[in-house]
Amino acid sequence: MGQDQSGLSSIEQELAELIVRTLKLKIHPMSIEPEAPLFGEGLGLDSIDALELSLAISQTYGYQLKSSDPEIKAIFSSLRALAKAIEKNRTK
Amino acid sequence: MMGAALTLGRPAARALLYPICVYFLFASWTAHRAIARFRERAIGCPAGWADLLRHYYAFAATILDRVYFLRCRFDLFDIRFHGLEALEHGLAKGCGCILLGAHLGSFEVVRAVGLLGRQLDVMVVMDEHNAPLMRDLTETLNPTVAATVIQAGGVEAMLQVKECLERGGIVGMMGDRATSREQTMECPFFGHKARFPTGALRLASLLGVPVVLFFGLYRGGNRYDVYFESFSDGVHAPHDLQEAVLQRDIQRYAGRLEEACRLAPDNWFNFYEFWDDEAH
Repeated sequence: MGQDQSGLSSIEQELAELIVRTLKLKIHPMSIEPEAPLFGEGLGLDSIDALELSLAISQTYGYQLKSSDPEIKAIFSSLRALAKAIEKNRTK
Repeated sequence: MMGAALTLGRPAARALLYPICVYFLFASWTAHRAIARFRERAIGCPAGWADLLRHYYAFAATILDRVYFLRCRFDLFDIRFHGLEALEHGLAKGCGCILLGAHLGSFEVVRAVGLLGRQLDVMVVMDEHNAPLMRDLTETLNPTVAATVIQAGGVEAMLQVKECLERGGIVGMMGDRATSREQTMECPFFGHKARFPTGALRLASLLGVPVVLFFGLYRGGNRYDVYFESFSDGVHAPHDLQEAVLQRDIQRYAGRLEEACRLAPDNWFNFYEFWDDEAH
């Protein structure tokens, strides 16, 4: 068994934990597929869950997600994409 | 129809609605059954042909009137506001407010609040997937208004809602019709179980913004009665109580909606099987 069994980078692991904690999901953070859709069919999360998550991201990383960002859909498309955007834009 | 509405004027365009309504009277069995069931449960009266025709006419009239509302022709109407202090109260906190309405009468009439001499930042969340025609109509008649329509669903919709509220604006949402993928809660409505979307109330509690109820009832002729009512003050519920508070508030909303339905039963525009027991 490898040490990086989940295949998640450290920021992805941190974000997975934030998602599970914020939205009170009854799953293990490491079970979130990094490339699978987070919302809609994926984890069954809706747009208000997405908003709740964006508030938590802004609080934790100082990254304010904006509706005017042309990439917004892509950013929220998967754990990996979201983690990448956070890494690029975080202020704390 | 839009062209006719604008060139012929409202009285002539309204005359054209009669043949359209008569067509619906014979063509739409699903709507017919939905109206009959609603009337039976809401006011205890079966629906005769005349009731159905009146119901379709009210629906068609509010759709036609959207054309005039979008063109800001509020001068054609007798619009009476009730409970405006509830809206003032909702906005007093300075963090915007959610206007929670229903597919009862006209929501578009909300834009008439501009008449009151206040410049209000109003955005409305709509499920335009179901109404592409309505989107095109809005875009053609008033691009400024079209820009204030938030397409329901998706992350960016909720971020737009949040940004509007942060500016101290008003966000209109519907509380009676659940779209797919939206979370719902069951509660009795006129004595029978129905499912209501929880989105608007979850949003209000998440962002801590007040909720004001809104019903724009069409009363025949050129008259609209617009009701505002305080609903909640935007206080966060403790985590362990959130579910119970939500259930209580959905029930409270359903109760207020029942009251508004009794005032204008022919304004009920949910022409599908609304109650759970009908779906089988």
